Amino acid sequence: MGDTTPFDEMHNADGSVREPYRALAQWLDEQPDKALTLMQSDAEAIFRKLGITFAVYGSDEGTEKVIPFDVIPRIIAAQEWRRLSKGIEQRVKALNAFLYDIYHRQEILKAGRIPEKLILQNSAFCPEMMGLEPAKGVYAHIIGVDIVRVGPDEYYVLEDNLRTPSGVSYMLEDREAMMQLAPDLFQRCKVAPVENYPENLRRTLDSVAPAGAGSSPNIAVLTPGIYNSAYFEHSFLADQMGAQLCEGPDLFVDGGKVYMRTTTGPERVDVIYRRIDDDYLDPLTFRPDSMLGVPGLFDAYRAGNVTLVNAPGTGIADDKAVYTYVPEIIEFYLGEKALLNNVPTYNCTDSDKRAWVFDNIQDLVVKEVHGSGGYGMLIGPTSSKAQREEFKKKIEARPDNYIVQPTLALSTCPTFVNAGIAPRHVDLRPYVLIGDEVRITPGGLTRVALKKGSLVVNSSQGGGTKDTWVLED
Amino acid sequence: MRIAIRHQLSFTPPPGTQHAVMQLLLTPQTGPSQTIESWSVEAPGIGNAGRFNDAFGNMAHLVNQTRPDGPLTVTVKGVVATVDRHGVLGRPGGEPVPAIYKRVTPLTKVPAGLYSKFRNSKESRLDILHGLMARVSEALGAAEDESQTQMQADGKQSQGQGAVKAAAPAADYAHGFIGAARALGIPARYVTGYLAGDAESPAAFHAWAEAFDDGLGWIGFDPMLLLCPTDRHVRLAAGLDALGTQPLRAVPAGDGTRDMGVTIELAP
Repeated sequence: MGDTTPFDEMHNADGSVREPYRALAQWLDEQPDKALTLMQSDAEAIFRKLGITFAVYGSDEGTEKVIPFDVIPRIIAAQEWRRLSKGIEQRVKALNAFLYDIYHRQEILKAGRIPEKLILQNSAFCPEMMGLEPAKGVYAHIIGVDIVRVGPDEYYVLEDNLRTPSGVSYMLEDREAMMQLAPDLFQRCKVAPVENYPENLRRTLDSVAPAGAGSSPNIAVLTPGIYNSAYFEHSFLADQMGAQLCEGPDLFVDGGKVYMRTTTGPERVDVIYRRIDDDYLDPLTFRPDSMLGVPGLFDAYRAGNVTLVNAPGTGIADDKAVYTYVPEIIEFYLGEKALLNNVPTYNCTDSDKRAWVFDNIQDLVVKEVHGSGGYGMLIGPTSSKAQREEFKKKIEARPDNYIVQPTLALSTCPTFVNAGIAPRHVDLRPYVLIGDEVRITPGGLTRVALKKGSLVVNSSQGGGTKDTWVLED
Repeated sequence: MRIAIRHQLSFTPPPGTQHAVMQLLLTPQTGPSQTIESWSVEAPGIGNAGRFNDAFGNMAHLVNQTRPDGPLTVTVKGVVATVDRHGVLGRPGGEPVPAIYKRVTPLTKVPAGLYSKFRNSKESRLDILHGLMARVSEALGAAEDESQTQMQADGKQSQGQGAVKAAAPAADYAHGFIGAARALGIPARYVTGYLAGDAESPAAFHAWAEAFDDGLGWIGFDPMLLLCPTDRHVRLAAGLDALGTQPLRAVPAGDGTRDMGVTIELAP
């Protein structure tokens, strides 16, 4: 990790092209001048037409942007993907086992493998979930694991997103766009499909319907509404899997069961893929001022009459403080060593440690414990002196609100920028579905930091996306 | 002791409410200290209610009413036979692991003065808990006298508020005890129930606490009355604090729940 030369996914150290990128390299060589520029503007037009935009918080109200799309796909060899997906599967299985345990007998706490306080006093721990038996024993059905690559066979997990991970619509639309932009390239490479994601999502949701729902359960996607930055994705996924898109007021509880108001009368709902945060799900049980949720929904869930996907309280498993224990969690429940690395993570509560952090802050990444989306984060190597001083003050004021990690040398992929094709840092968010079985879509969403040298890939901070190709043997 | 209970609560949804939803924690269960001989819950829509066990082992109802007109009233009635077990309940089944009752909630944050002298105590847990009960009783007793005087001086003390107001001091005592116990790392929970009256304290909807001892299991402590629950206590529901154990919770809440009063009689 100490090595600061980032791993180039396309080229070997001697400049030769790595095996998985050979067909792409040849194809790029054959493209006439301006071809990529044309593709880039075609791509922009495609995304505008598809209506894939996102709202940037903190910018002018109503600003909808198209996430920049890079026309050069990222390529992962079949062999590489097999190893990576094995590591992901191990992780999501262990995290679900952990959730089952802490909402039942809490053996891992009794064994002293995780400090009890870290779980019991955590705001992401949901005591209302105690003793509930979720269908198939699954709590987190949809997970987006954020991974970075630092070497040919070395990956680090940055975050396990078990709440309501977003971005899967970009993965699907990136593929759709890429197939329109470069159909000939797909002739040369055997690319594993991602298009069946909505179908697999539907299958997963069907498989966790409550007993008695029948062979074709009624699925609803519950959205906070059109002002949510991921509203496009909510409506897109509902549409793609033949489910109803609804907002809180469209649903109601009667006799302990959940119904949807329709023009032909109430219709029973069996599974709710909810994209509303736990706190807002049900004003009767959680935040009483929530206007987004459905009163009585959680009780109907406890009564076993509806399945909530993901279950409330899954956030305890992707809490930044719990993250450091994931290798321990994997060992405890599966008896295996973790296949994917965790980034070494330090807290700043100890004054000696804090002094060390302040001395080395230019080499470190500082994150807010409850932050997400790249907000409230400092990347030492690319920060200004003023920013570093500001963060030191923030840490001093609330040391327990920050964690610190070494800066990872994120791998780079060839990216089409103004100056031509140049390496840019990338990360990867594969999407995992867990129901009757674990289904991992090959690839996932690759986010790319378009600014030279930048390590921030978040779309809210000037990142773009790439189509991600997993090659088939 | 056989105790006959009748308790009425109501709430008035705001005019124009399309759909009112109520959650009731008003069903006591047979346990080491009590046997439920009969119990009924009457409420509009109760026939169609969803029934479930909540995370804390309580039996709950989810009741809904479309276009409610005026106040919705819930009436519970029943007869419970009790025995005095000096508060000792042991480890009844169907309950979550005791450790979750170490979680500090906003209502159970207490000043260190309530528990600091027990922090490094060498006494048994049982002795510490009795000591805590006395400490909480003393600390809140003094505070309550002050607030009583204050309220009367302000002339704001309203009349006939019924048992919910009467239970408010009980909640303060229970929260004080629970917060102090949790701060010492002892699992402690909030318990709602009924108190059969005697010469000193009137019959009431009541609240007390239970704390966990590795040997004896759950033990009740009633810091307001400064005793362990007796056969005058009927246990209704348990949870992290008063917020999570409200007997009637409703959305839309309107002006909130009104307690119409409780009558408790010793049955023959």
